Amino acid sequence: MAKHATPLLDQLESGPWPSFVSDLKQEAEVRAKNEKGVEYQIPQDVCDDLLGVMELSFKQGRTHWKHGGIVGVFGYGGGVIGRYCDQPEMFPGVAHFHTMRINQPGGKFYNTKFLRELCDLWDLRGSGLTNMHGSTGDIVLLGTTTPQLEEIFHTITHDMNQDLGGSGSNLRTPADCIGAARCEYACYDTQALCYDLTMEYQDELHRPAFPYKFKFKFDGCPNCCVASIARSDMSFIGTWKDDIRIDEKAVAAYVGGEIPPNAGAHSGRDWGKFNIVKEVIDLCPTKCMRYEGGKLSINTKECTRCMHCINVMPQALRIGNDRGVSILVGAKAPILDGAQMGSLLVPFIKVEEPYDEIKEVIEAIWDWWMEEGKNRERLGELIKRQGFQKLLEATGIKPMPQHVKEPRSNPYIFWKEEEVDGGWQRDINEFRKHHQR
Amino acid sequence: MDTEAGEKKILEFLEKKSKSKSKFYLKDFNALFPEDKPRAVKNLANDMVKKEILEYWSSGSTTLYGKKGAGKQAAAEHED
Amino acid sequence: MAFISSGYNPDKPMENRITDIGPKKYDEFYPPIIKANKGKWKYHEILEPGVLVHVSETGDKVFTVRCGGARLMSITHIREMCDIADKHCGGHLRFTTRNNIEFMTDSLDKANALKQDLESRKFAGGSFKFPVGGTGAGITNIVHTQGWIHCHTPATDASGPVKAAMDVLFDDFKSMRLPAHLRVSLACCLNMCGAVHCSDIAILGYHRKPPMLDHEYLDKMCEIPLAIAACPTAAIKPAKVELPNGKTVKSVAVKNERCMFCGNCYTMCPSMPLADDVGDGIVLMVGGKVSNRISAPKFSKVVVAFIPNEAPRWPTTTATIKKIVDIYAKDANKYERLGEWAERIGWERFFDKCEIDFTHHLIDDFRDPAYYTWRQTTQFKF
Repeated sequence: MAKHATPLLDQLESGPWPSFVSDLKQEAEVRAKNEKGVEYQIPQDVCDDLLGVMELSFKQGRTHWKHGGIVGVFGYGGGVIGRYCDQPEMFPGVAHFHTMRINQPGGKFYNTKFLRELCDLWDLRGSGLTNMHGSTGDIVLLGTTTPQLEEIFHTITHDMNQDLGGSGSNLRTPADCIGAARCEYACYDTQALCYDLTMEYQDELHRPAFPYKFKFKFDGCPNCCVASIARSDMSFIGTWKDDIRIDEKAVAAYVGGEIPPNAGAHSGRDWGKFNIVKEVIDLCPTKCMRYEGGKLSINTKECTRCMHCINVMPQALRIGNDRGVSILVGAKAPILDGAQMGSLLVPFIKVEEPYDEIKEVIEAIWDWWMEEGKNRERLGELIKRQGFQKLLEATGIKPMPQHVKEPRSNPYIFWKEEEVDGGWQRDINEFRKHHQR
Repeated sequence: MDTEAGEKKILEFLEKKSKSKSKFYLKDFNALFPEDKPRAVKNLANDMVKKEILEYWSSGSTTLYGKKGAGKQAAAEHED
Repeated sequence: MAFISSGYNPDKPMENRITDIGPKKYDEFYPPIIKANKGKWKYHEILEPGVLVHVSETGDKVFTVRCGGARLMSITHIREMCDIADKHCGGHLRFTTRNNIEFMTDSLDKANALKQDLESRKFAGGSFKFPVGGTGAGITNIVHTQGWIHCHTPATDASGPVKAAMDVLFDDFKSMRLPAHLRVSLACCLNMCGAVHCSDIAILGYHRKPPMLDHEYLDKMCEIPLAIAACPTAAIKPAKVELPNGKTVKSVAVKNERCMFCGNCYTMCPSMPLADDVGDGIVLMVGGKVSNRISAPKFSKVVVAFIPNEAPRWPTTTATIKKIVDIYAKDANKYERLGEWAERIGWERFFDKCEIDFTHHLIDDFRDPAYYTWRQTTQFKF
């Protein structure tokens, strides 16, 4: 028998998509029965009370959570988000309902041994509810009480060799795409770079260092499956410089209809016979491709590596061999000054251990932002406020046409004195010898 | 940076401001140390947390520093 | 129940403390076939919705079965996933950026058995536990935020509208009939923990009422300068307020017309709540993308300024989304993303075709970039 009636939530149990309500009820029931004899360290009816408070929110159209800023694990400025229910007498099981962020492994690969250990820990010391995964990428353990925070931290660090993720004015938990582990488009090893930088910057990840949050994300190619270009202060997107590798035989097989285009992604509808000119050549944004006499050619110099042709014919076209990464900076969601996409800062850099060149760029940006950034000013907003030129100065990168979509359309250049021959100090008396007052 | 003098400076600043507010951004501390790099100030403040002189208060998106136990948040969040 | 110590000593927090060790290293978790073929993948193919094969230069093939799931999941559910992975995949599984679960095997037979197993599992309420799909030119899982399950400033729920929307869009999760893939995302307030601003369709919670002021308690619960500093538009100032009992207290005043309803003040000050059953609801944004394919990444644009919260199934929201998806599916060219389609036909035509009312709320008036979204040409469609 459920502790609280949930007539509104119950309506979300039907329909084909996995129902979180059914899952919450399932967990509530498992805890109520407790067949394994777990010595629950937080209220046994936590899931029941969560269903109860959710039902109340569904009924009233308002949340029942309050923020808490104090709780955390000792010495860390991030990784724990404090939450309290604003109806603790009605729902004592969720009076405290803090979240812990656990730094996810690269590519979000797991073995069941690790996941089971995590489940056992969260059974004993938490609500048994998680997010796999949070928006930034962390494993989110949802709902525990204050006294359990240090205990959980002790167990994950001592017994599981695992650390928390970031929150607050910290480096946020870096996240990557599946990359070379299972994708032929990966232009660099996203997991290796993500892991190396995560380990290098542990202090920044756990302790506040910056004016605001700072995010790294790693996309293996310009398809951008982790959306780094839209949501990370520093976005690392794989790219290449040389020719797209063409397998003419496979091109012919696509043209002949032997291989389904776009890796079969459009097979749910009859789009007619594959037409390489209409579907590839004509859609190429730079028109750098030709298909003549049954032969495909690409003018590499004019190619902007949008990936369309590769996505359409993955068995025929492959990324080049001279690979590296483009670094774009300053992306963020709209709050406050409007959304920003990452702006290209480094067109190409090799991705080679120990990644010193990349770290130099990172640290130069941090030094500038820590010095000049205002409280709660994201990197992208600082770049907007002080100008892209300041970013170039701070990183010692030379301006180039790749940095802009188009040159400025106003001539209001803030010339510096040292850029003008003879400087700005002039002799008015000398001037007056030739010009009357 | 001289750690002891630095800690004293931060504590004096917090004391002076304690009538109006108890939580501050890292940038507020930077202003106390115009000669030092922000990184050094950050390390000083974070070490003061480890020594249990300061504590963090997190809004989730940002983090503030305050003297341990100071302010109204502990009572408001029932963590006192 | 009795308190069980992990070994942590609260009197000596630094004793044997382990910190700064980071995550587990990624390659500890690779299935053997991934470990053996990393960096050697040649091409991939989607064999059917939810089933992929990746072929390596070594000749190895890995078959992946992708299934959807609520990102809010219990350990009982995760343990069931572990059982599946132990049975079919040598104890390995992974998650995608969009909260899908991927099980990998080394043969098509095993993948088919796995698929059958996954599709056979249902929750007590009748929904699928592990629906297979979410690939190619279809709709994959919705990424989302916490909503009423855990957040203190949401303007809508997250898990509820996502479940309702995915039920309506389920056929497109299970098939690949669209002109291109279509990404749906949800953020429960404008702070956008889930950065939804570049999605084909973004469901965004939005408040429309400034915070209430609990004057009697405000100065007791909050530090007024922090509440003032939290406001991104400088709409809050200190004020002295006379209570009904005649007592004068320190509090704040809010310049309501400057409020952008972000809730940052409530984070700093629990005496300034802004949640409201009538004020809160949903904004729909469309046409964003993050991929660099053919056209540059784009932001999503607001096309519906407000839809009330209609718990438990948000019918107006889901019907509007469904309509946009169906018209896009019918009208767009092959490979054209929703935003590319809207730009080609023109936004005036988009509103026309989707039968969405255009209101003044949809014209940008927030700071400088607004001008660049107005029409500076005589080229438009009647």
